[in-house]
Amino acid sequence: MRALQTAATGMMAQELNVEVISNNIANMRTTGYKRQRAEFQDLLYEQLSRVGTQTSQSGTILPAGIELGSGVKTAGTPRIMTQGSLLPTSNTFDVAIRGEGMFQVLLPDGRTAYTRDGSFSLDAQGRIVTAQGYVVQPGLTIPQNATSTTISPQGQVQVTLPNSNTTTQVGQLPLTLFVNKAGLQAIGDNLYLETPASGPPQNGTPALEGFGDLQQGNLEQANVEAVSEISDLIGAQRAYEMNAKVITAADQMLQATSSLSR
Amino acid sequence: MENSLLVGLSRQVSLGRELEAVANNIANLNTTGFKADGTLFEEYMMPLARENAFAGSDRRVSFVRDRATWHDLSPGPLMQTGNPLDVAVGGNNFLVVQTPAGERYTRNGAFQIGPTGELVTSDGDKVLGDGGPIQFQSTDNKVHIAEDGTVSVREGANSNVDTPRGKLRVVSFANPSALQKDGSSRFLTTPNNQPQAATQVHVTQGALEKSNVKAVVEMTRMIEITRTYTQVAGILQQQSDLRRSSIEKLAEVPA
Repeated sequence: MRALQTAATGMMAQELNVEVISNNIANMRTTGYKRQRAEFQDLLYEQLSRVGTQTSQSGTILPAGIELGSGVKTAGTPRIMTQGSLLPTSNTFDVAIRGEGMFQVLLPDGRTAYTRDGSFSLDAQGRIVTAQGYVVQPGLTIPQNATSTTISPQGQVQVTLPNSNTTTQVGQLPLTLFVNKAGLQAIGDNLYLETPASGPPQNGTPALEGFGDLQQGNLEQANVEAVSEISDLIGAQRAYEMNAKVITAADQMLQATSSLSR
Repeated sequence: MENSLLVGLSRQVSLGRELEAVANNIANLNTTGFKADGTLFEEYMMPLARENAFAGSDRRVSFVRDRATWHDLSPGPLMQTGNPLDVAVGGNNFLVVQTPAGERYTRNGAFQIGPTGELVTSDGDKVLGDGGPIQFQSTDNKVHIAEDGTVSVREGANSNVDTPRGKLRVVSFANPSALQKDGSSRFLTTPNNQPQAATQVHVTQGALEKSNVKAVVEMTRMIEITRTYTQVAGILQQQSDLRRSSIEKLAEVPA
């Protein structure tokens, strides 16, 4: 009985759905987290009698055939890259991106990763690093004796040195755009890698031509909406239960058949 | 004598098929743009009963057979997602996608932007506009899809004019029930049922059409199927018992 397998695909799909939802809820308070959504599609159909085939010599055709579906599959778990709300922290090295773009981070293995998590700090050499200690490109060094640091919406990092009443520009934080940012590969630690699906990175200056601007002293919160996640969770749980019921029904029918031959 | 067994069997086979359709509907309870399937049965009259030489009227034996599955094309509920690349189409209209096997039609509007900047489905198939695929540039942002399907963007952050990027091709069918399901939320059509440009286009951005499977209806159908199946099995059991006892009694050889 194929209904057993069909219902099993439904249960597996809902299990994956719950996994995606639980990851979203677990990351509700993760800075720069972008929620995922499980996308489902129906599986292939078996055509037991094809629609439009001739039913007589005089050319009458079958108006509706017999198609039996074989269940559901997961098409993907695309990331919804909408803007998260900004949370003021008044921390000097907390930077949020308002609009499009990602920061570039140099990984220890030499690759470049991209992130929307702007909770930066300084390392022992005065470089701007991420929470994991990876250097934020292009590797700006803040002088040890700087009294204050300002990051402008355009990404210019300026410091005030002692006994000076003017600011000195240390450098510029660039941003990177991708044509298909949903195609980036997440590697954890709020970092993403470029893939063939994302398209090549395009670097540029914040607040110019399609790039967002930088907001110092703010962090971008996750774009997870608790209400919609919970309602999705309820929907997934009920759908799982119903698929389990189908398996019970198919089992009962098989039992009725097998009890015939006693 | 065998007739009652075979009539019962024909019902059981058709119930098995119906449960498969119900199982597929329930498995696709959360599939975007999914359309539920229903089953149709018809009576199959045996041409002539065999024992028609008896005096008195003999009734023709009727079997059941599954004749067709049909698609319930009623619209599913809209779910607001807020994602600018999610699109729901109203009415009985379809969006057109270009697959390697040719044009397919879908109501699943969970679109994305492909690596080369085209609007694609989650399978990577290009979504067709009136003039071919809809192509975005790398500096495009604020994608806006109007109610008539026109896709417009702002070129660059400082732009405040909408630049059109094409118009989603929305089609309808004279006989939508003749569409075939192709899997992956897609439909394909037959040569004598060609798509026409839809007259009443209503495209909603930031929303998805959920599956139109009505869970309660499917559950009741499923209960009905299991109960009927068990009842038919009971009839078959009685027939079998009847035959066994007749064999035992009639062919009892006194020792």
